[in-house]
Amino acid sequence: MEEQDSTAERNYSFGEYLPSAGIVGVIFALLTFAIGIFFGYQQINAEPTGSYFSPSMLSGVIICLVSAFAGMVAVWHFTKEVSPVMKLGQGAVLGFLTGAVIIILSVLLNEIWTGLIDATYTEKIIDATIANIEAMDIPESAKNDAIDGIAQSMEAGNSIWSQIFWGIPITGLVNLLTALIGVKIFAKKPEETF
Amino acid sequence: MENRRIYFGILFAVTAMVLFSLGGGLWGAEQTLGHWTGKMFQPVCHQNPERSFYFLGSQMAVNTRCFGIFSGIWVGWMLIPFYLRAGGGNRSVIILLLVAAVAQIIDFGGNLFSYWTNTNMSRFILGSVLGTATALYIGDLFKSSTKH
Repeated sequence: MEEQDSTAERNYSFGEYLPSAGIVGVIFALLTFAIGIFFGYQQINAEPTGSYFSPSMLSGVIICLVSAFAGMVAVWHFTKEVSPVMKLGQGAVLGFLTGAVIIILSVLLNEIWTGLIDATYTEKIIDATIANIEAMDIPESAKNDAIDGIAQSMEAGNSIWSQIFWGIPITGLVNLLTALIGVKIFAKKPEETF
Repeated sequence: MENRRIYFGILFAVTAMVLFSLGGGLWGAEQTLGHWTGKMFQPVCHQNPERSFYFLGSQMAVNTRCFGIFSGIWVGWMLIPFYLRAGGGNRSVIILLLVAAVAQIIDFGGNLFSYWTNTNMSRFILGSVLGTATALYIGDLFKSSTKH
């Protein structure tokens, strides 16, 4: 009877998704934040070489790769801790929620870092990134566009709410898609239960 | 095909994602970085201007590899009904997905260690193969399980 209950198809409340989305989201947010800060200071302390493969670019690639798979890991956690049976829609919700948790925590951690620990971090990273672009062997107009864009994207109108509002949809959708991969790999379909 | 509502919901979201990834040019902005389309993709892409396509005079909101992945996902998602009609569950999709993932690593690594210099088009093509394979791999989840 217990076996039947544990594998039966059922709907979950928001609160039942939260532990998996929360735990995995916290871990991935801390991980991506640590990677970002580490490579950020590498960029700040490095001589501008003009190389495309700057520390901040590498951190962008690594952060993107790492955070994209949080949805899949959240599904794995859910199937281990809550129920091995998971419907497609449930995986999608869990993936999106995990992406949202990552964005909210990453923004908050960045705010804490730049507000309490190193108030000049943003300014230093902008200066280092611009110095690297200026050393690049690309046309002047492209340099100016890139520098204007970076200064704008890092400075203007980037409130906490703006970063969260604009950040959640795409990170949520990317994690939703990887969560669906997780459903395929880790979850049992309700029809498979006997 | 089952879970049709989820299929069309995600199709809508992926279509929006591809449209937004075209950047500020589609919305009349002179620049994408700093525009809301640029902010949307900032957490998932480095948005290097040299490694991005330009659309209607503005840099796209994502680099060429990301745009390839996103548009590949969109194409693959559109192909899911046809894939399922052809039977789905094809092992060749898993092989294609693995090959596409390994090709990304080789392409990135080769460029990083200066064995070769990849181009915007090569990054876009490799990304689109990975995106299409990913969508088709997920597509099996929409296969009707009520066949007798």
